[in-house]
Formats: sequence, structure tokens, C-alpha cells
Amino acid sequence: MTDELVRVLVVDDHPVWRSGVRNDLESSGKAEVVGEAEDGGDAIELAREVMPEVVLMDLQLPRVSGVDATRAIVEDSPHVKVLVLSASAEEADVLEAVKAGASGYLLKSSSSQEMVDAVLRVRSGEPVFTASLAGLVLSEFRRIAGKDPTEPALTPRENDVLKLVAKGYTYREIGEKLFISTKTVQNHVQNILTKLQLKKRYELMRYAIQKGLDRAPE
Amino acid sequence: MTSAQQPPLLARARHRDESRSLVTGALIFRWVWLLWMAGLAAADNDALARASLAWASIGAAALWTVWLTVSRRTWNRGVMAFDIALCVWLVLASGLVIEEGQIVMGRPFFATGYPLSAPLLWGAVWGPLTGAGSALVLAVAHLLSRPVNGIPLSELSPAQVQNVTGAMLNYLVAGIAVGLVARLLRRSSEAVRRANEETLMEREVAARLAERQALARAIHDSVLQSLALINKKSRELAASGSIDPAEVARLAEIAGKQEGELRSLILREPEAPPTGRASLRDALEVIARETSGIKVNVSATGPIWLQRHVVDELQAATRQALENVVEHAGATATTVFAEEDDDHVSITVRDDGVGFDYDEARLQADGKVGVLTSMKGRAVDLGGTMSLKSEPGKGTEVEFRIPKTGGS
Repeated sequence: MTDELVRVLVVDDHPVWRSGVRNDLESSGKAEVVGEAEDGGDAIELAREVMPEVVLMDLQLPRVSGVDATRAIVEDSPHVKVLVLSASAEEADVLEAVKAGASGYLLKSSSSQEMVDAVLRVRSGEPVFTASLAGLVLSEFRRIAGKDPTEPALTPRENDVLKLVAKGYTYREIGEKLFISTKTVQNHVQNILTKLQLKKRYELMRYAIQKGLDRAPE
Repeated sequence: MTSAQQPPLLARARHRDESRSLVTGALIFRWVWLLWMAGLAAADNDALARASLAWASIGAAALWTVWLTVSRRTWNRGVMAFDIALCVWLVLASGLVIEEGQIVMGRPFFATGYPLSAPLLWGAVWGPLTGAGSALVLAVAHLLSRPVNGIPLSELSPAQVQNVTGAMLNYLVAGIAVGLVARLLRRSSEAVRRANEETLMEREVAARLAERQALARAIHDSVLQSLALINKKSRELAASGSIDPAEVARLAEIAGKQEGELRSLILREPEAPPTGRASLRDALEVIARETSGIKVNVSATGPIWLQRHVVDELQAATRQALENVVEHAGATATTVFAEEDDDHVSITVRDDGVGFDYDEARLQADGKVGVLTSMKGRAVDLGGTMSLKSEPGKGTEVEFRIPKTGGS
């Protein structure tokens, strides 16, 4: 861990919420807010200008949505981690954001301590998963596996890990249960996320091939 | 918005009806005068100076009247000009048809009232100015019919002048009066249309207001009450100087519960359940909200549609498990995970509390097995099982697993 403050960009359309998050992050002494955006479009621009390490992203934004902004930011600068901070009723959007490249998801009702932890974990490359997101991801993979066996599927071990995350176990507890290291658990979770993102890319690619978009114009 | 577009269309239809009835009236008068003109000409046939011209004119008027009657949708200013020209001709032709110098000698006038129908009709269609204009043209023609009949204007007797003037005034009065009535009708139907529109708008506003009131009631009943309570309690806490963590936690709990309720009121799109089914995830989320004293996360692999009584039983079993956690586990968080595969549904209630040595025989001996038996009974009644995994210091995991019966 470096002693330097984590550079955070806060994206939310509610000024009160932004200032609350800023307060929580800065009083922790571990992070500094280098920018605030109230819309996805502003977020994409600011992400280029202020060079944040972590973007705390709300999903319900005016004009450009949080999902679209996440996709653009991750494509623009892959080293920037996007942590979605969202309300529970938007879980379908959360799944889309994760497919678009978000590294984690946190409920808005989480405590300040949990938020700061999540920012630090995401910065160090650890995916931040909640139990409910794990449930959604699990069902997403089952849905796809039932339809098309050629698409990226979960290995049995990844399936076990994801199930335990969905049951609320921490990575450490999962490691103990499965007799593997916490780091290995994290890798499994990262691989699951990557497959989800790959699947999205795979879908786009297949769509392009179907529509003949891969061929050069005659 | 369709509701905003509909009223003008309806009102316009009614408005057209009203002016149509006036126009229909003018057409009926025209037919009456046509027949009167033809009847008079037939009765006086022998006395006519130019009978063939008279019948040709009557025939033309008859054809024109038929055409007007069937073609009312296509009328334009050209049609009006032709009609006025025809009526002018009929008026002037009177001077030729009737024996020279005889036009005002107490004999019936050849054209009779037929030309009067022109200002009536066009006044009805285009208003008082058009009515007056066409009346003026015909009044002048009426005046000129005297010279055509061989009576110079300068030789008209006072009685004849009176007669001609009266006829001219008749034209003007008819054209202007009908025009005014038509305009009045049009304006009043316009007013009716506007009133209709306003009523509809008011009704729409009222509906929106009612909707807002219903929402406001729902918010008032729970959210506002809770906010007021939080406001009051936190002031009291601030004033008391010593902060009681339990009190603060209770406030946070109230706020959290309201946040959830407000969210479900506003955000959650209703998923249409298959008939007779209920969503297990929704049922679990309800218990999660209702459980106080601990934070409950719910995760699920979808809405999981099951028969309502199955959902009720599983909900009851899960509630018992959560009550157990709150009472005994000393946990900070608990997660309820519902999973559905091809032929089974399972619910896991997992806490990070103190855990215990699970030894069913010993629990039985100690008489502490009541709740567990009840929970297990619910699972077994549904043809399933309950399993329990626990270790001191490592939390507890309870799993209900039941077969999906009666198809998906």
C-alpha cells in the first residue's frame, strides 16, 4: 500500500450526496476527491482531465447514463477503476455497468468505512462484489449457458466461489472454506468479471458478424 | 398526448354540423323557389314573351341546383361566382321573358325568390360580408332588370321605385342576416369547443392531482412520519449531550427502512407474475425490510416464481431463521440467498455471528430444538430438507432445499 491518497472522481447528480461522499473520503485520510461530475458526459471529460484512479459512479444520471460513462471511461483509460455506487433497485443496470467494465459495486446504504475500504480495494485491483450482485451474475451465466454452450461459461470452481459470494461470505472466508488463498479467490472473482465483460464483447462481435459489419464496404 | 388532441377534433365535427344545417336550410329554400319559378312559368306559359328562353333558364337553374345539392363538399369561390352569375342572369332574364314594359304591373316576377338563395347560401357558408356582397350584386341586377324590360330607370313611378327598393333591401337583409347567424353559430361552437377543451384539460389536471395525492398519502403515511420522528429524535439526542449508540442505530434503521419503501414505491417496475405464482425474491425482500436489529442482504438468481403457498411457507421458515439469528447469533450482517436450478429451489440464511456446535441430539436433550423443528417441518412439508452448518466463531448457515413441483 502506498501512503499517497487515492485520487477519486465522484459522479452523482445530487450535490448533497457528492459533498457527503467527499466529506467521508477526505476525513478518512486515505483518499482525495479530485473532481465531481453531475452527468455521465462531464464524468468522461473529467476522467481525462483530472486523472483519477477510482471513479465513484452513480448509475441514474441525466443525459449520458452511468453505464455508458463507465464503458467510455474504461475504454479511454483502462487503468482507471470504476466503482459503482448505486441504489438497490437498479440492479439490472448494475449488471450492465459491470459488463461495461466496472470493477465493483457498492450499495448507497453502505457505511462510510465500507465505502473507503471499497475504494482502496478497487484501487489495488481487487474486485468489489456484493452478495446481491453475485446472485445476478450467477443467474446471468445460467441464462446464457442454457441458451448457447459455446459462450464463455464458469468453471465449477468459479461457480462455487460465486455462490459463496452470493451467500455473503468474504473472500477470506471463501478461501478458508475451499482451502485456497484469499488472493486466489480474488483471481477467480476477477476472472468471472472478465468473462462477463468478454461475453459482452463476444455478443457485440457476433452481432457485427451477423450484420456483415466486419466486412469492408465494397 | 392523445387526450389533448381529441377534444378539438370532436368539437370541430360538431361545429361543422351546425353550419351544415344552415346551408341545408338555404338549399331547401332554393329547391322551393326553383319549383315555384317552374310552377309559375308553367301556369303563365302562354303569356311569356320568350317561353323557350324561360324554360332554358329554368332548366339551367334546375341542373345547377342538383349539382349544388350533391357537391357541397367541393364548393369554393369559383362555385360561388358561377352561382351569383346564374342568379344575376335569372333576374335579368325576367326582363326578357316577361312582356316588354310589363315587369312591374302586378304580375309575378319570373325569377321569383330563386336568386335570393344566393346571398342566403353564401352568407351561410362564408359569413355576413360575403352575404352582403352577393346581395348587393343581385340588388343591382334587380334594378337593371327594369331597363332590360324596356323601362328606363328615369321613368320609374314612385310605386315602382318603392317596389324595386324593397326587393333590393330583401336581398341585403337576407344575405346579412344569414351571414350573421352563421357567424354566431360558428363563434358559439368555437366557444363550446374551447370550453370542452378546458373541461378536458381540467379533468386531466384533476386526474394528475389525484395521482399525486395518492402518492403524497403513501409518502405521508410512512415517509414523512418517519422523517419527522428522525428529526425530533436526533434533535433530542443532540441536546442530551450524550449520544446513545442504540438510539442512533434505531434512527438509522428507521431511515433505511423508509428509503427502501420509497424506492419500491418509485422505482421497482412491477414484474407480471405468472398466474397463481408469487416471487420468492420479493417475499424475502419483504422480510429483510421487516427484520429489525440486523442488516439483511437479499441476493437471488432472479425473481423465482413459485406457487403462492410455497412462497408463504418458505417466507415463514426464513423469517424464523432470521429471528434466530437476531436472538442468538450476535451477528453484524446476514445474507439471504435464494437460488433456483432446473428442479430445486434453495434458500440459504447465512450470518457472520458466533456460531455453535451443531449437535441435534444434544439440542434435543436440552429442549432447545423447538424452533429448529418448526423450520425443518416447513421444509419437509414441501417435500424438501433443511440443513444447518455451524462452527463456533464462524457463523451459521441454514439451507432450505425443496423440489419444484407442478412445473416451472
